[in-house]
Amino acid sequence: MKSKPIIMDHFFTVHTSYIVNFKFTNNITILTGESATGKTAAFSFIKECMTINPTILCLNYLDYQKNIQELLEKEKGKLIVIDNADILLNDEARKYISLDDNNQYLIIGRNPRNLFATGENLFELVSESKGEQTEFRIEPYL
Amino acid sequence: MITIYKDRKDIPQNMEYVELNDVFFNKNTALVLDERAKKIAEQIDGAVLVGKFKIKSKFNGVILDVDCLSTGCKTVLNVLYFPEKVFCLKECGENALEVLYSLSQGAVYCDYAMIPFDMEEVQVCEGTETKRIQDYEMLKEWWSDEE
Repeated sequence: MKSKPIIMDHFFTVHTSYIVNFKFTNNITILTGESATGKTAAFSFIKECMTINPTILCLNYLDYQKNIQELLEKEKGKLIVIDNADILLNDEARKYISLDDNNQYLIIGRNPRNLFATGENLFELVSESKGEQTEFRIEPYL
Repeated sequence: MITIYKDRKDIPQNMEYVELNDVFFNKNTALVLDERAKKIAEQIDGAVLVGKFKIKSKFNGVILDVDCLSTGCKTVLNVLYFPEKVFCLKECGENALEVLYSLSQGAVYCDYAMIPFDMEEVQVCEGTETKRIQDYEMLKEWWSDEE
């Protein structure tokens, strides 16, 4: 599914020696790939920004007991970042996300089922050492 | 070889199913890690176990708590140390799947296909039927009910 990002096309933050520098080209970005590329680390750095940026909402396995779809339906104008998406999102929540035109999504997982995703939605995390810092970026998943 | 379930109702009642691999690892597996975990942490995460609860990160060499291992690595270690339980397979990347499929025992569940390109023989369970599969395409067919 191709649709331009409605909340932000660039996210940047620094957490000590880590830099998160994400450029979004789609309203739903699915961040996938091998284990241990740093996806959850990047998630934690984005989550830290929730304290100073009200347009960011982060969800992960700690929200396992919540009704995720109900939670999403209450949000408007946010970049919603979901880690552990493969266990957190049921089919109904996935369908809701695919049709939600109030929020933008960064979904960390491997199962694109019911998100009506195409290759344009799929990205992987790449990391690059820059001096003593490590920069995380997203690039199309091939 | 590992045993795979594709339907939750096929998991035997005497086998606990664990969906949250992170939580289970942090509360159970982390306490029983031994030499066997070193190789797996290095293989999957590129991390070095430097103490009972510490790893050296592959990114910048900093020492982190063992809870910073990837969910894929934690899943493999959960399966390795608790073969009497069934663990959710959904959060394993290709690199974790390759190691997981090479384990000599253990059980996993997923309702869709999660297969490494370079797979070894597995046992699959559906209803009362159990069989062994050695081939990627055959396992994919089993998972997608195309047999």
